[in-house]
Amino acid sequence: MSEHKAAPMVDEVSDFEVLEMAVRELAIEKGLFSAEDHRRWTEYVHTLGPLPAARLVAKAWLDPAYKELAIKDGVKASLEVGVDWINDMPTHFGTPSDYCNLRVLADTPKLKHVVVCTLCSCYPRPILGQSPEWYRTPNYRRRLVRWPRQVLGEFGLQLEPDVEIRVADSNQKTRYIVMPVRPEGTDGWSEEQLAEIVTRDCLIGVAVPKPGVKANAKRPVHPAVHPVQHDHDH
Amino acid sequence: MSKAQHDRTHHAKKATGVGDPQCFKGEAGAARFKVGDRVRIRDMPDIFYTRCQIYTRGAVGTVTELVYESPAAEDEAWDNTDKPEWFYSVVFLQKELWPEYPDLYANDTLESEFSERWLEPA
Repeated sequence: MSEHKAAPMVDEVSDFEVLEMAVRELAIEKGLFSAEDHRRWTEYVHTLGPLPAARLVAKAWLDPAYKELAIKDGVKASLEVGVDWINDMPTHFGTPSDYCNLRVLADTPKLKHVVVCTLCSCYPRPILGQSPEWYRTPNYRRRLVRWPRQVLGEFGLQLEPDVEIRVADSNQKTRYIVMPVRPEGTDGWSEEQLAEIVTRDCLIGVAVPKPGVKANAKRPVHPAVHPVQHDHDH
Repeated sequence: MSKAQHDRTHHAKKATGVGDPQCFKGEAGAARFKVGDRVRIRDMPDIFYTRCQIYTRGAVGTVTELVYESPAAEDEAWDNTDKPEWFYSVVFLQKELWPEYPDLYANDTLESEFSERWLEPA
């Protein structure tokens, strides 16, 4: 008789998910926010995406005065693409972001920015939505600061040695987006056309915009060398 | 005996309609460093909580911007918000952080933020 166990209904719940639930329930119990606040907040967060940031970049490419504003005051520039870092919170309490300082890092032909948060996964959510999973992995966070060229190479971005790569480690209250250089072959394009090629990956800095490329490249996923064995796998 | 009352939402209330770190503007006093200053990241003990990366400790960089005023993360984590500090964006050469960084890419840099307590003149 073979030993048989039913397949699990859900994937394993991680320690961090358990921790989040515990902290959330404590916070509700202590009156920091209500369960209803939490529901509204979660729904709000899931409506966010990278489109406003793409529009900000496209607008800046077309309007030098707006570009200057974006570099000087990212929060103010965000208003013009419909993002209010200070006042748009769905619960009428606190702010829409954990912190409200946005810096727009302008690339030049000789300077390429790329963003990481080595300490956790700080991300400019009001203007970029939820971070991709790879952005939160220890692999990306540990390696980007130390071997940026190798990591960018894995994303398909090879840069000449004379281009300065500047890694922005988002370790405190500033959130960053990258304003890439406007690519060749986009003369006469409208703001809408330009925004379409400013993908989320371009805004994090692991890709550069190219005419015709409107989606993020797939990240290769390699099988683990020593995969974790669960007793329900056999 | 009644329980001690502590308003756990005072921070969020202060930031409502203003933003954080904007809500601490003007509370840090005079800044010790200015743009262009060479600074060294101090290697202080960090008990319980810090946001000052180990890999920057002892490294020398250049202040590129005075970004905002805020309580240091090490204080704010414990709800001590009465002594905001200036925060600085500091740029390092990668070679300064990682001695084995290839010479071919000697121009590569890294930028991050530090509260004033973590900096000393270099």
